[in-house]
Amino acid sequence: MTKPLFTQLAIAIGSIAVAGGAFADYPERNIQGTIQWGAGGATDNVVRSLTPHVEEVLDTTIVLTNRAGGTGVIGMNHVMRQRPDGYNLLFGAENPQLYPLMGLAEFTYDDMHPINIIGQGLVVIATHPESEFDTFAELLEYAHENPGELKMGGTGAGGLPSTIHAMINSVDDLDVRTVTFGGDGPGVTALLGEHIDFMPLSLSAVAEQIRAGRLKGLAVLGSEELADLPGVPPITDAIPELESFLPWGPFWGVFVHEDTPDDVKATLEDAYEQAVASDGFQEFLTNFGGESLNLNGEEAQQYLDNWQSVTAWSMFEADAVEKSPEELGIPRP
Amino acid sequence: MSDTFSYLLMAWLDPGLLGLTALGVLAGIYVGAIPGLSVTMAVSILISFTFSWEINNALALMVGIYVGGVYGGSRTAILLNIPGAPSAVTTAFDGYPLALKGEAGKAIGLSTVMSVIGGLIGVLVLALTAPHLADLALQFAPRDYFLIAVMGLLLVSSLSGKSLARGIFSVALGATIGLVGMDMVTAQPRLTMGSMELLGGIHYVVVMIGLFGVAEAFYQLHNMAKVPVKQNVDKIVPPLNMVLKFLPLSIRTSIIGVVVGALPGTGGDIASLFAYDHAKRSVKNPEVPFGEGAYEGLVAPESANNAAVGGAYVPMLTLGMPGDAVTAVMIGALVIHGLNPGPMLMIETPYMFWFTVGNLALANIFLLFFGLTGIKLFTKIVEVPKAIMIPLILVLCVVGTYSLNSSMTEVYWMLGFGILGYWLKMFGFQMGPIILGVILGPLLDESYRQAMSSVGDSSVDFLLGLVVNPLSLVLTSVIVLVLLGNTPLKGWLYSRFKRR
Repeated sequence: MTKPLFTQLAIAIGSIAVAGGAFADYPERNIQGTIQWGAGGATDNVVRSLTPHVEEVLDTTIVLTNRAGGTGVIGMNHVMRQRPDGYNLLFGAENPQLYPLMGLAEFTYDDMHPINIIGQGLVVIATHPESEFDTFAELLEYAHENPGELKMGGTGAGGLPSTIHAMINSVDDLDVRTVTFGGDGPGVTALLGEHIDFMPLSLSAVAEQIRAGRLKGLAVLGSEELADLPGVPPITDAIPELESFLPWGPFWGVFVHEDTPDDVKATLEDAYEQAVASDGFQEFLTNFGGESLNLNGEEAQQYLDNWQSVTAWSMFEADAVEKSPEELGIPRP
Repeated sequence: MSDTFSYLLMAWLDPGLLGLTALGVLAGIYVGAIPGLSVTMAVSILISFTFSWEINNALALMVGIYVGGVYGGSRTAILLNIPGAPSAVTTAFDGYPLALKGEAGKAIGLSTVMSVIGGLIGVLVLALTAPHLADLALQFAPRDYFLIAVMGLLLVSSLSGKSLARGIFSVALGATIGLVGMDMVTAQPRLTMGSMELLGGIHYVVVMIGLFGVAEAFYQLHNMAKVPVKQNVDKIVPPLNMVLKFLPLSIRTSIIGVVVGALPGTGGDIASLFAYDHAKRSVKNPEVPFGEGAYEGLVAPESANNAAVGGAYVPMLTLGMPGDAVTAVMIGALVIHGLNPGPMLMIETPYMFWFTVGNLALANIFLLFFGLTGIKLFTKIVEVPKAIMIPLILVLCVVGTYSLNSSMTEVYWMLGFGILGYWLKMFGFQMGPIILGVILGPLLDESYRQAMSSVGDSSVDFLLGLVVNPLSLVLTSVIVLVLLGNTPLKGWLYSRFKRR
């Protein structure tokens, strides 16, 4: 009689050890990382630079896959449907915070757990060197006198230029023709060829062009001049009312399924905090034209909420979207 | 000057770089030959892999893969009628008929030599004219891309085979497929039927693998009993007089390739289509008709797509702007390695330009070597019994599609296009025009809307723009001449002139 009892006991103890061990040893195999934007883009560059530092801390391999399309909906949807065991990470940009507003999907980053908000991109409004404008104030004045004449490069509804255009229009009036391109790259190319008059762009996309004198900066989206771009005035010089929206920028973050076990979340948060803070990555980020944030936990959630509320409401007030953020439960900033 | 030479020879003299370039080319040929495995993907994986390497080593490997991969697409196009990449679609038109005649070895040999010639011409143009060519490329406004897309639509007459009506139907079908997904301007779903998976559109490689791979495999089931042709592998290296005979065509199509490749909005796939069309129009009496195994039909696209590699590097090295998807990823690699790809790259790190030029030339030499060896083994593929080959092809198609975006939805779409393609084949439709439509549809849509919004949605200003700007006027004139030359109007005009 005793023998089967022992066996059962042994099995019970063994299974507890196995179950406990599964989490204690995380990560015990490769981690799958999904990038919601295509190869060679800003998100892709940031993630591929950061990943080796994380791999070092976690002592595992992170297999990166680009699942681009639908402003990132496809990649995010994929990660949300995987098992919540911490072996599937989502690397994303700011866009999901606006999905319900744009009618693209029902979910936002509220439906996932933020591991780390890595950093945010600085934004510059750029033009070509032949342009008659030297500051954004001059351009704005011209646009007031000649509405609907200037050509602004855009990347479609929900893209960075359209958001900035909306922010400006919620406090001022900038009536321009929007020419839509497939991304920052084609937009910069059109600006270099003088086919458009100006375009709001992430600093990483234009820093080199400005340094070489192939493009010139009209304003930086911030309340102070940037050390890297001397002589380019802050946008608040032209529109002081924008102050209330700042600081604002497109951001990059790492996310996991909401139901991931807490100790796995903690392991990942710790690893990413160390990796983002590492000298190697910080050097890359500065060179890339980004600003380090390295937020997790409560701070990350706060950043995400604030970003969503500022952006959604300014878009609504500029009539860039039909749905009211109120209906979606996004509080006023 | 001596600096330039030392940079140019860097990759040639360093055994490590030499080895990595060779490895890259060899790996690239296989990556390129398998439909679905793309050079873009291989290079992005290499970025993480080579993170801690020295930048030159990483670049040497990537350049090798790029050059090998663009060529590799022709292998399966010739042997199995399944292009390994979109830029090899036209290679299959005459390459596969040659394989059916038992001349696969000769076809691969010729396409290797012509790829290398095209590649070297691309490098030469890159080395000599990069800053000027980049400035020319910047002159292309959205309006001009629209004109290029319209010119591309006219290629339908060269790709449709016997029935032009069927060809036009196929282009329209392809263009519609190309429009599925999120609208670029409004971000609204278009033709997605509410499916979230379709928001990103249908990748044109998915369409290609279905229409060429699966449809071809099904079609071959009709000839199960047919004994495969014994391949003649005695003469693989094309004789000098043959190379010399096709050299002028190769040079002309290489120029097309390098210019189309240098335009940031177009790449090797469109270049090879234009090149095939050019060959068909300029070679009046080929020894064998086009579509039945004309050597000219191999020479043109193979020269052009490899020349486009040199072209794609033009905006990348001079402006820091990508010429195609692969150079976009390479720019990312430079950023991650702490370099600043942009207009200052040539001034601050002058070695980078000449190192790349030298490395590209080296990769092409390796391509000649690797391309001409192992052909005998490769041609055996055609002699494998169908009962083994067809299931293998189907497996490869599924694996290749899945590896694109790790999406099962795309695998289902690919199989769906396979069945559709099989039916279309049964009714005498050609697959080429569908791919033409899929590639050109989004370009037409994008460029037309950009051009219209640039002029404030005024049709008058838009039409005026087509003739006022000198560059646009040239493109418009070409379109008008092609249209006049291909319609009954030509005869009418001709007789009018004669009467006078």
